[in-house]
Amino acid sequence: MHVRRWLAWWLLLAVATAALLPLRARLDKAHVALVFLLVVLGGSAGGGRLLGVTLAGAAFVLFDVVFVPPYYTFRVADPFDWLVLVTFLVTGIVAAQLLERQRREAEVARERAGEIDRLAMLGAETLNAPRPADALHAIAEVIRQGMQVDRCDIELGGPSAEVDERSDETIPARKRRMALDIRGERVGTLVLASVHPFLLSRDQRRVLGALSYYAALGVERIRLAGAQEEAETLRRADRLKDALIASVSHDLRTPLTTIKGIADEIARGGDHTRAYVIEDEADHLSALVDDLLDLSQLAAGQMPVTPALNTADDAVGAALQRVEGAMQGHEVKVQLGADWSVLIGRFDLAHTTRILSNLLENAAKYAPTGTPIVVRAWRENEWLCFAVLDAGAGIPPAERDEAFAPFVRGVRARVETRGTGLGLAIARQLATVQGGRLDFEPDANSRSRFVLRVPAAPANDGNESL
Amino acid sequence: MSGSEQGDAGVTVLVVDDEPQIRRVVRNALDGIASRVLEGSSAREGLDLAASAQPSLVILDLSLPDLDGLEVCRDLRAFSSVPLIVLSARHSDQDKAALLDAGADDYVTKPFSTLELQARVRAQLRRANRTDGANKRLVAGGLEIDLARRIVRRDGVEVHLTPTEWGLLRAFVANRGRTLTHRQLFNAVWGRAEGDAQQYLRVYVGQLRRKLEADPVRPKLIRTDPAVGYRFDPDA
Repeated sequence: MHVRRWLAWWLLLAVATAALLPLRARLDKAHVALVFLLVVLGGSAGGGRLLGVTLAGAAFVLFDVVFVPPYYTFRVADPFDWLVLVTFLVTGIVAAQLLERQRREAEVARERAGEIDRLAMLGAETLNAPRPADALHAIAEVIRQGMQVDRCDIELGGPSAEVDERSDETIPARKRRMALDIRGERVGTLVLASVHPFLLSRDQRRVLGALSYYAALGVERIRLAGAQEEAETLRRADRLKDALIASVSHDLRTPLTTIKGIADEIARGGDHTRAYVIEDEADHLSALVDDLLDLSQLAAGQMPVTPALNTADDAVGAALQRVEGAMQGHEVKVQLGADWSVLIGRFDLAHTTRILSNLLENAAKYAPTGTPIVVRAWRENEWLCFAVLDAGAGIPPAERDEAFAPFVRGVRARVETRGTGLGLAIARQLATVQGGRLDFEPDANSRSRFVLRVPAAPANDGNESL
Repeated sequence: MSGSEQGDAGVTVLVVDDEPQIRRVVRNALDGIASRVLEGSSAREGLDLAASAQPSLVILDLSLPDLDGLEVCRDLRAFSSVPLIVLSARHSDQDKAALLDAGADDYVTKPFSTLELQARVRAQLRRANRTDGANKRLVAGGLEIDLARRIVRRDGVEVHLTPTEWGLLRAFVANRGRTLTHRQLFNAVWGRAEGDAQQYLRVYVGQLRRKLEADPVRPKLIRTDPAVGYRFDPDA
């Protein structure tokens, strides 16, 4: 491309010379100079300074040799012709230089425009990235590329971090640390590092100034997001604490009062069979303590979870075993699919057992005496589903959102039944921590129906031939 | 440290707990089961008594002030194979499995009922008195298991078992009345080998149940302890 352009201009010079040659007797020197100057200017504009200067040189020689008498020698008959020749040469070279400078400036302007585009894009990305950390990584990567270094880290942290002195800018270094400020306040540090010592040019420093402003904004965004999350956690903990205090004052004091009263009666020689009430109340307290501990572990995100391949049989069986004696005369019907195949899921057996037994106990509490309770398990796409159905009234639509919150009991339940009010809250959270979910989904007959979904697993791959 | 003289002749139980109230509850529960109850209030004292008095059974609290419960189990197992029941607080399911792996035979969760503790103690004493020969052939309910001849009959009908199911059943019968952790079952069936089949352990137990139990969802022979493992208890 380059070579072809050069050839074209050289060819044009040759053509111009050839065209003027037959007319040279009738031509003034100014005519020749103007035509050659046109070619030189054209060459400078189209092919750059070097082409312009070399064309000017060649045109000067051609002018002298071909068009200034005596022809075909370097000698010049009229000394005034030198003035024409030298003026031509100088004009050509100066014009080439001027054109070159013009082009450079245009190029710089284009580069700046590109830079501004990149910064604008980066700004938009920074604001749009869904996670603040992603935005910061994007900024660091742009800086790394722009500064042509091996690493660029953006460190979060206050004014204590160490940064370079301004005067160090002119000394090559492997690592440079710069402060990131927002409204005059230090929010982080930008660290550039390379295997070989490096210096930043003035242009690079200028771009870095703009980029580091985005980095500072990114750091600020992370800080704000963290603060917001913390505030949300605190708000949740606060709500739980309020509910907890209300519950402890009522639900713990009531059985304690009963225990104290009856123990006192017995100590004074009262009826010893009343001691069984103490045992019942103690059991109730014990259940409440367990639930409170579970709830606090869940709220703190510290409930251990060990998902493993488990069978629906096992979870349902263990739950039935656990609620034995608490079913208050309700018959429990189990429907685990008609075929011989075992339903398998990847879930935490202890947690799932707990969820199912909570649901069973709930059902036994709320279903009318003598009605059966049904437990079902089935596979539904990627879920292993368990459902507990009872003939109770279920949850009124108005209370469905609240039913899974801690310490909530249905209006009716508060009067007629007794529980910790934590069963559903714990059950739902236990479902969530093992990647499942628990919902209230009443069936067509508007019977009470809770559905637990946990991740299903493919049928026994490690199966032996039976 | 005190002794009470009643119950079965020759049965000495050692109770190690730093809480005098808990020791009292356990001592009362052992009334009629043990002829002599020894008490230790620290791990050191308990280990010393276990070595010197040769008890028939040890009941050990998991949280003693001077030594971690897991350490006590290992120390005890270093010199004795006495049946060991651990008392633990709830909210330590992972710890329970670790305890059983470390050599405990069973655990009871606080707060426990007297009846539950008594049942566990009796089961352990029964297990300790059983001779090896008693495990070769077992008849319980409608089930007949002959390990030597590899025959299982349910209600007189022979049941066909796969090799893995046989391995499981053998481990269960050899440890009847005792909770086996998943790890112990892995080791019993697959040895130390690692493999994909192991993650299907619970599925194999499910299949075995479907062949042996009258109602696999309400198992009477192989009971599930959700956080820990399984217990084969045809005598319960």
